Parts: sequence; C-alpha cells; structure tokens
Amino acid sequence: MISRVATGFSLRRKLYLVVSLVAGATAWGEPTFFQARVAPILDRNCTVCHGEEKQKSGLRLDTYEFLQRGGEGGKIVAPGKVGESELYRRITLPGDDEDVMPSDGKPRLTANEVKILELWIASGASPTAPVSAFPNAPAPLTPKPAALPLAPDWRPRAQEIAALEAALNVRLAPRSALPRDGLVLRTVSAPARCDDATLSRLASVAELIVDAELARTKVTDAGLKSVASWPNLRTLDLSRTAVTSDGLSALQSLDKLETLNLTGTLVDDTGVARVRTLPKLRRLWFFGTRAQSPDCDPGK
Amino acid sequence: MLPYDQRDPHAHLCSDHAREHPTVWDLPVAESLKREWLELETRRHFFGRGAKALAWAGLATILGKSAPQMLANAASGTEIRPHFAPKAKRAIYLFMAGAPSQLETWDYKPGLAALFDKDLPESVRGGQVLTGMTASQPRLPIAPSMFKFQQHGKAGHWVSELFPWTAKIADEIAVIKSLHTEAINHEPAILQITTGNMFPGRPSIGSWLSYGLGAMNEELPTFVVMTSKMPVVKNVQALSNRLWSAGFLSPEHAAVALRAGHDPVLYLNNPKGLNSDARRAMIDGVNALNRQLFERVGDPETNARIAQYEMAFRMQTSVPELTNLSDEPASTWDLYGPKAKEPGTFAYNCLMARRMAERGVRFSQVFLRSWDTHSDVPGRLAALCEDSDRPTYALVADLKRRGMLDDTLVIWGGEFGRTVYSQGGLKRDLYGRDHHPRCFSMWMAGAGVKPGLAFGETDDFSYNIVKDPVHIRDLHATILHLFGIDHSRLTFKFQGLDQKLTGVLPAKIIDGILA
Repeated sequence: MISRVATGFSLRRKLYLVVSLVAGATAWGEPTFFQARVAPILDRNCTVCHGEEKQKSGLRLDTYEFLQRGGEGGKIVAPGKVGESELYRRITLPGDDEDVMPSDGKPRLTANEVKILELWIASGASPTAPVSAFPNAPAPLTPKPAALPLAPDWRPRAQEIAALEAALNVRLAPRSALPRDGLVLRTVSAPARCDDATLSRLASVAELIVDAELARTKVTDAGLKSVASWPNLRTLDLSRTAVTSDGLSALQSLDKLETLNLTGTLVDDTGVARVRTLPKLRRLWFFGTRAQSPDCDPGK
Repeated sequence: MLPYDQRDPHAHLCSDHAREHPTVWDLPVAESLKREWLELETRRHFFGRGAKALAWAGLATILGKSAPQMLANAASGTEIRPHFAPKAKRAIYLFMAGAPSQLETWDYKPGLAALFDKDLPESVRGGQVLTGMTASQPRLPIAPSMFKFQQHGKAGHWVSELFPWTAKIADEIAVIKSLHTEAINHEPAILQITTGNMFPGRPSIGSWLSYGLGAMNEELPTFVVMTSKMPVVKNVQALSNRLWSAGFLSPEHAAVALRAGHDPVLYLNNPKGLNSDARRAMIDGVNALNRQLFERVGDPETNARIAQYEMAFRMQTSVPELTNLSDEPASTWDLYGPKAKEPGTFAYNCLMARRMAERGVRFSQVFLRSWDTHSDVPGRLAALCEDSDRPTYALVADLKRRGMLDDTLVIWGGEFGRTVYSQGGLKRDLYGRDHHPRCFSMWMAGAGVKPGLAFGETDDFSYNIVKDPVHIRDLHATILHLFGIDHSRLTFKFQGLDQKLTGVLPAKIIDGILA
C-alpha cells in the first residue's frame, strides 16, 4: 500500500526531475524563470486537463518539452511573439468566448500570472533564462510558511496504531493529510472506557500524539504520568476529569504544550500556578474549578 | 487479468444477474464509463466475499477515518482528510430562517434617518426587478431602522439595541455585511445556503462534513438538526428535511432531527415489552438479511441501512445521556436563562448544541423561524431577538469559558437580506421589508475566525455591496477551509460531475476573516 502511494508521488517527482535536469537551473545554480515562475502557473491552471492524466487536444503542459511540442492544433508558443502564441491568446480571451482557457468556468489566470507568461514568451520562451533576467516580472506570492512537522511520520506504524485502537477502544486519528502532523487521541465515543490503564498502554506511540482529547474520561492524576511522556503533545483536554493540582506536577516535561483545558476538574490555584510555567503554554482554561486566577489568553 | 478491452464484457457477471437486463455494456456510452462500471462491479464482488470484508465495509462508512483506514484510502487513491490541519473540529450553525433584516441588526446605516419616507433613488435600485410582493407598489419609500445602534467592545462593532446580550460578545464575532445570493424566495434561497444549490436533492453542509471527515463520536450522529419554538408565528415557512438531507451521498450522512420533549428521536425507544436483548437479536437478524441482499445486489445503500440500524441501537443509550440536563451546574442556567429548561425553545437548543459539541457531534444546526418580516418589522424583530439574543450570547460565552470556542465554529444568519424600502405602509415605528438578495449580514465566531472584525461594506442604503462581496459559495468554501478541507477537492461523482458543496462556479475563501 505504502509503495503505491510512494509511486504516485515519485512519478510526479520524476517529471519534475526531468524538467529540472533540462531546465531546472542555470549553470550557476540560479533557478530558471521557467521553473520558478512559469511552470507553477501551468501546474495550477492547466495541467488538470493538459497533464500526466488527461491530455485534452493532445496537449500537455507539465514539462517544458511538452509545452514546446504543442497539441493537435500545432505549436502554442511562438518564442518572442506574444501576439502569435496560441497559449497567450487563449488565456486572454473574454470569459464568454468558447475558446477561452481555462475552460468550463474554471478560475481564470490572475493578471499577474498572465503578465508572467507574457514576459516569458516575449523574451523568447527560454527554458534556461534565469529569474534575474526578468526584473519586471510581478513578485511571486509569498508562500505560506510550510507547516512544521509536529511528530514523526505515522505511516510506518499504521498496523501498530490499528491494533492499539482495537485493543483500547480509542481512536488515533491523523490530524491531517500531512504525515508529520501527528495523531489526535480521540476518546469521545466512549470516554468512560478510557482510564489511566488505557493511557499507560499508549507508550509505543507516545511521540505521535499531538492532541489528546481526554474530556469526561476516567483519567486521574496517575494517568498524567503517562501523558507526561508524550513529548510532542501540543493540546491536552482534561475537562471534567478527576485530575487534581497534584497530578499537574507531572506535566512539567511537556515543553511543547500550547493548550491545556482543565474545565470542571478538581484543580485549584496551586495546580494552575504549576502549569503556568510551561514554556509554550498559550491557552489555559479552568472554568468550574476552585482556581481563582485569571484565565490565560494569548499574549498574556 | 486481461486488459479491459480484451475481456468478454459479460464474463465477470454473477450467474444471477448475467444477461438479465441490458447493462451499461449494451449502451452507446463512453468507454470510460463502461470501465468505471466494471470496476464497481469488481469491487462489489470483492466486498461480497465473506462476512469480515462486509463488516469492514459497513463499519468504514460510519466510523471516522482512523490512521490505518486513511492509509488504506490513500493506497486506493482516496485522499486523506482533512487536507490540512483544521481550526474547527465542529460547528454550530444558528439558522435564522425567513431572513432577518440586516438594517435592524448588523448593517448600521445612520444616514437613512434623514431620508425617512423619501423614494429610493432609481440609481441605487439600478433597474432591479422586484418581487411580486412589492413590484406593484406605487412608491418605494425608505424606512430607516427604528432601533438605535451603539458601538461595543474593543472592536467597536455597531450593535443594534435589539441585541443587548450579543453586544457583550462583540469582540468574539466577525460580522460579514456583504453576503449575497441569487435567490429571491425562501425555498430556493434556504436550499442554496444549506446545500449550495437552489434545487433540492443536494447534500447539506453537515452531510458534506460527515462524508468528508467521518464521525468523531460513533455513538451519536455526526450531523444534528434542531428546530425551535417560535416566539411569534407569522409568515412562517415550512422547514423540510431536504435542507439537511444527504442528497446523493450515502444516507447515513443526513442529519438526525432532534425533537423537543421526551422522545427526541422518533421510534428510538424499544416498544413496550421488548427488552434490549430482543432488540439486539432483531437488529442482528435484519442485518443478516441485509447482508445477503448486499452480497446479491451490491447496492451500497444496503450497507448504509445496516449502518443506520447499528447507529440507532447505539443512540438508545447515547441520546438519553445527551438530553439529560441534570448534570448541568447552576452556572449554566444563570447564563442561558430560565427558558433553557423548556425543551424546544431556542435557548434549550443552544444548550443542547453545546452539549453535542462536547460529545463530538461535528455539525449541529439550530433553526429559528419567523424572521420573514414583510410587515411589522419592529414588533416581530423585538420578539424574535428577545427570544434568541440571550441564548446566542450564552452559547458563545459558554463555549469560550469552557475552552471550546478555539475549535468550535459558530455561525449566525439567514438566507437573504431585506429591502431598505418599506413594504406596505410606512410609519416611523411600523413598516415592512421585502426580500433582498443583493446584500445581507451574517456573523461567525471561534475556530480560526478573526474575532471582533467587520467585513465587507454596502452602500448608504444597504442595497448594493460596495466592498468585499461574499457569495454563499465563498462562505461554504471558508467553512470547509476552517475544517481543514480544500473545497475544490471534496467531491462526489454524480450525474457525470465531480459534485462539490461549492458547485461549479469559482468559489474563494474569505481570507480577510481568517485569524
């Protein structure tokens, strides 16, 4: 199963690799304009229909070579001649023209994207011209910072995870499609069946758990000793459990913990003071406890 | 295995339905469609083998996706969801059916006071065709809001005096004043905002979330709907289950409608004289028959039926626990007010929504009707807000103090806006407002929404949008985004299309309201 996923990825990677060997970098290692600016636009807007999987009108736009080759209607880029390039004509037609691309009401290219293609074609549609040759190109969008890995890849442990879920009546759900986004420990289907013993049996996946939903479970102070050994834990919900201030002492090791919910527990100000010193803690709730101190909000 | 095109198109069929009737193979349709059907047929066979495979198939549709399942999905080409880390684990949608007037609630237009009873300028209306309800009026006289507005919170939201309680959470909510829709009548409009399409038969938001993300709590439905008792009953539109149906998705993604009173889910309790063991035996028997049917016919609906019997059995325990409010502390009643003790009130439903959020119900929708103020805007809005303002505030405040607002999205709004001109007569304190699709206001709070924000602007008449228009499909794309879903990738193949909540027209995420 894993190998099939990997193959799917690597096929794409291989295509990029071909591109990068031919057109990826200039002799000095500077990225080419085509690779850095043009290919991503084609990838975003065109390759759904003109790519590896579909080749409408016999056209592919997922590599420089395919782009050069054109489709059934012939070449689509005339180097140096924007006005004679079919690619440019299609993306600049009015939205109701039946030849307009992308077709079928799919989102149009942005003005900046059109401009980048125009500049590239005008300058000769080179596969090797460096980014620095296009000082007038619109600035690239600042990419969102890549999500930091929160935990090791869970995928190699899938069988183990499945066995634990079955044995312990809990769920270990991936937080997202990113394999290093960690697992959510979910107990809400049967909170009464999750207790200190359950937590002690999760040691083998300790570093994978980033979010522990333990609200309304039978977890007590003793169970927090297990929780304390989950080094990548960011979010911990202990609402309406029987944990006390004493138990919270164990949590000192959770140096990545950002969010802690103690609503309706038996903690008091002593316990709150103990967890307030956690280095990364940004959010702390203890509504419905004996603690009096003000809630912790971000920035405070 | 031979390639498809070299195989006998009928060789794979079971003996019991081979050549019984024309199949896709006999029709002049695209080769790709035939292949798809063949693959489905092969898969039916796979699942038809052995009880173990079957049980897995049945369960997989109702359980949320766990790690090994996701891996299996990934291997079979189904993607892992959420696509990216979500802000919202769950959402509560307070639906004000009938369309509340934006002019009295969230779109403050002080300039209108000086224009009382003046005609709406033709330049503002821009030749818009009006509904049959006001098209024949000789005049379109401007009706300023008779309710006063004040700024509240650090954010300085202008909040109507109709919302003295909601004003206290002004810094928690993001008001969007620039929603718009194409629909000018209730049924298409409410369908569009609940399902993304004016035509009935599409899955609602909660159904898409259930399909996309699975269940968090396997003992309760993932999508629950509650309708509320109305403080005034006038111009009330019927709510039907097509607003919360699963459409073309498997039926277990439809909402369970929770009723007020002793029997929250109809026919859930065992009939008199039937104990739990007997019920269990009966369900096992029915399921065995259904499995046989599935093996023979291979219709996925049969599996959905099995799953629903199992869910109903589990709900016999989980629903009474959910609706038993005896464990609520006094602070709950202080917050929500005394009406929350009366089943079926909006206050009660808000409290239930919080209890469901605690128990992992992913999407709950609370409907309050009667906002269709063609006449007597002041009197009816006063009654509706009096009934709903405090519980609305209480819900948000309660989620916040319990640490749940961080990952619970709260949405408030109706299906369209109302006209600046009066329908019928016009007095300062008595006027009506017709339907207005060109702009309306909603708010969202929690789960990754920027708190204390006002987004979008309308013109001086709250008639046309002048800044940051938000279409309903943009709202939907944004809700899915907060759940970690790329709206363009949450699809289901039906009628030859990769169907989406956001439809085929481009939808954009409302970046401006994201924290």
